[in-house]
Amino acid sequence: MTVEAHAEEPAGIYVHIPFCLTRCGYCDFNAYAGLDHLAPRYLRALMAEASLVAGVPGRAPGPPTWEGAEVASVFLGGGTPTMQTPADLATLLGRLRETFHFTTGVEITTEANPDTVDETSLSSLREAGYERLSMGAQSFDLAVLASLERLHSPDSVRAAFTAARAAGYDNVNLDLIYGAHGETIDSWDRTLRETIALAPEHISAYALTVEPSTPLGRAVASGVTPEPDPDLQADMFGVACELLREAGYRHYEVSNWAKPGFECRHNLGYWERRPYVGLGAGAHSYRDNHRWWNTRPPEEYMDRVERGELPIGGEEHLDPSDAYLEEVFLRMRILEGIPASWIDEQVSAPFIESGLIADEFDTLIPTERGMLLLNELVLALTAEASPSQTS
Amino acid sequence: MTSLTPTDTSHIRNFCIVAHIDHGKSTLADRLLEVTHTVEGRDMRAQYLDKMDLERERGITIKAQSVRLAHEGYELNLIDTPGHVDFTYEVSRSLAACEGAVLLVDAAQGLEAQTLANYHLARDAGLVIVPALNKIDLPAAEPEQRTKELAALLNCDPDDILHISAKSGAGVDALLQAVIDRVPPPTGDATKPLQALIFDSMFDAYRGVITYIRVKEGLLPSNARVKMFATRVESEAEETGVNAPEPTPVDSLGPGEVGYLVTGLKDVHQAKVGDTITLAGKLGSTEPLPGYREPKPMVWSGLFPAEGGDYSELREALDRLKLSDAALHFEPEVSTALGFGFRCGFLGLLHMDIVKERLEREFDLELIATAPNVEFRVHRGDEVEIVHNPAEMPSPGTYDSIEEPMVYATMITPADYLGAVMETSQSRRGEMVDMSYITPERVEIHYVLPLAEIVFDFFDQLKSRTKGYASLDYEPWGYQEANLVRVDVLLHGEPVDAFSTIVHRDKAYTYGKQMVERLRELIPRQLFDVAIQAAIGAKIIARETVKAKRKDVTAKCYGGDISRKRKLLEQQKKGKARMRRVGRVDVPQEAFIAALRVDDGAKRDVKK
Repeated sequence: MTVEAHAEEPAGIYVHIPFCLTRCGYCDFNAYAGLDHLAPRYLRALMAEASLVAGVPGRAPGPPTWEGAEVASVFLGGGTPTMQTPADLATLLGRLRETFHFTTGVEITTEANPDTVDETSLSSLREAGYERLSMGAQSFDLAVLASLERLHSPDSVRAAFTAARAAGYDNVNLDLIYGAHGETIDSWDRTLRETIALAPEHISAYALTVEPSTPLGRAVASGVTPEPDPDLQADMFGVACELLREAGYRHYEVSNWAKPGFECRHNLGYWERRPYVGLGAGAHSYRDNHRWWNTRPPEEYMDRVERGELPIGGEEHLDPSDAYLEEVFLRMRILEGIPASWIDEQVSAPFIESGLIADEFDTLIPTERGMLLLNELVLALTAEASPSQTS
Repeated sequence: MTSLTPTDTSHIRNFCIVAHIDHGKSTLADRLLEVTHTVEGRDMRAQYLDKMDLERERGITIKAQSVRLAHEGYELNLIDTPGHVDFTYEVSRSLAACEGAVLLVDAAQGLEAQTLANYHLARDAGLVIVPALNKIDLPAAEPEQRTKELAALLNCDPDDILHISAKSGAGVDALLQAVIDRVPPPTGDATKPLQALIFDSMFDAYRGVITYIRVKEGLLPSNARVKMFATRVESEAEETGVNAPEPTPVDSLGPGEVGYLVTGLKDVHQAKVGDTITLAGKLGSTEPLPGYREPKPMVWSGLFPAEGGDYSELREALDRLKLSDAALHFEPEVSTALGFGFRCGFLGLLHMDIVKERLEREFDLELIATAPNVEFRVHRGDEVEIVHNPAEMPSPGTYDSIEEPMVYATMITPADYLGAVMETSQSRRGEMVDMSYITPERVEIHYVLPLAEIVFDFFDQLKSRTKGYASLDYEPWGYQEANLVRVDVLLHGEPVDAFSTIVHRDKAYTYGKQMVERLRELIPRQLFDVAIQAAIGAKIIARETVKAKRKDVTAKCYGGDISRKRKLLEQQKKGKARMRRVGRVDVPQEAFIAALRVDDGAKRDVKK
């Protein structure tokens, strides 16, 4: 089989805004609290970078230019993009629209923190073109929110959600996190029901992951906080699958559910290995088995862009076996599965037998149990050398 | 000055020092070198005679060494003996090279089993004993108590017991004088055909095999053509000399003298400890000296390279080690779990430990050793099959009986712990022979025990239940029939040969339970439930389950996460490749090592 390139397909644009009110203990994103004063300069740098990547004639050799690229989605992430004024975010989007060719029906999302939005600001955002909203709810249990060091309350999530509806938002995602210290199955069950009661179009539910370089990681390493119990998280995943299915959500990626037709097209782009442009500090870009990323420190990022340089921090070229591995684990994550013919039958048979993968019309798709064990499954399925790239 | 010609026997004294570890033998040897000006102060270093790093680190003597001291017109040959039960035969050959022994006892700690065992060996060999209490300057010393104890044991006048401090040198001159006065000179006739006893043999990378010898009869000239009796090998010897303490060539060695011979041989198996050297041809003796014995392995273990690819390196290392270790046996072994390796035979646990450590240290190998076991005799009608690998043990019902090797164990304990010693021995299938009070506070007790129990954890148990006060020594005591069974360990239904062990039927359940519990902690969760079972034949005697892993997936995998995720998977894949597969179960290397560790018993054994 050949891992196909998707170069001709429309790209997604990811815009990273690294400023936050506070840092949450579990978060290992490239985000900073207390650097707000850099924001105006940073927004200018973002727009300058967009022009740079869209193609400066005679630019030094490096990553491909995006001149003339079609753009099917834009995603503003962070950090907390909604700490910036709707007017500034409107200007930013306007600049992107001028720089790239947005396709008809382009999906434009911004992440939003419940405490940083109200009906007025949301109306402005929507008017500016941000038609999809992704809000960090995390939990409806105060104790769990406290354990996650989130400042907002369940009420502010409900208020922000109501405001979004009032502002005309008809495509909203709520992010949830499960398995924090102190959270029980019952509490998680309630959080899910509260979420379902709000009826967002899209729900992301993430098992809390302990990253070593975070305050939470250090607390776990030193024994102050217990590590999340993987079996309890597995039970919680099971509850989520069941309740969300009953509520009419389609499970379309390990941690993502949506009402039919409301899957996040931007994120699907990552998983389907379509090209994407990353703008901002630490943002990743990808095209044609080539991936590169910007330098992470915001100041360095801005300095370089201001000098007219591409702020590249690193890059990698995927060889056929890298590409194959990514193809397999990404396809498995979105339940698209892989052709049964890619895997030796002797290798896949025990997993089919034990109910971790299903063979549906010669496609191997992880079951609900299998999805939770994808790392192991993918390792087992790709343990043999990748199939010939030329056949 | 070292004389180049033989000294008259009347002016020779050959002696050794019998002592427990830490009782000051090496310190005394150092002091003797100094007092006799054999080594001048500026050249002195601690434990001068212990040449191997391992010897110095562990404070033990593995190889016998001899050194010639010149004192008041006398030639004094100090023969340093190995100090461990594994090397009892080597000790006996060193003793056979002497006429006297200094029995050195720590004035604080008193007699220990090993000293006692070696004292008995020395006495049985007809040696004159020169008793000395060492460390009399220590605050904890109890010289009167210890003098009484020693006098009672030796049946001697308390005034004959010397009091010394090897550390400060106090009394060392008197000790030398006592050696000259009390130890008889050797006998021997320079005109008789040559008979020289090999009491140690080593391989030197530059000079080949060097033997340490005691001339009993005749003259051993330099550059002679010599013959080894046991192996019937002849060779052109290259050099005769003495250690004073550095190797010093001499013209010849005469009767009663101790020295070395550079044999011109390339393999220590051609010149073994206990063998007799004579001259080749008509001038040679027709009779060897009595007492030669082939080295016989007592303990067996499988050695496997931790990295499968190192097999040929392990083979090469064992070949090289064998050049200098005549007691080491090995043969290729294939384990389904551990791959290609070697079944190795050792004199005992210490010997095993030393070989393993030398392989790892000198040859930079990482090894997995299976649990040590003894050699069994399986009887089938008139046939006797020797089994030294649990994997080769026939199934129950296919043989008439099994015999296991026994030992005669000597233990010395403070009377307060007598109960603990008896309980421990009894619970390890020991049968008491006798016991006697050395003093009202200290008891000497003898048991006949299966060697397998000692190899398992007897010494650890004894030490822990007597707070370290009891000491142990043992010697082979024939074979005895026993109700033995092989316990297999199965992972997900697949037997893991590396974990099979032969134990007494009464212990099988405890052993099986312990092993499956230990493995449950060591085996990582897999994609399916893994049953860990212990079985005798088809009968399951213990079972544990490693529950299937339920969650192992990255929660978030967006644009910036994909490379990192892929690299993590690749790392995980490499980690998996380093695991051993048993059927469908991935078992990490460390699990084998940890599961097979017998509580570091072999290492602590050294400290007795």
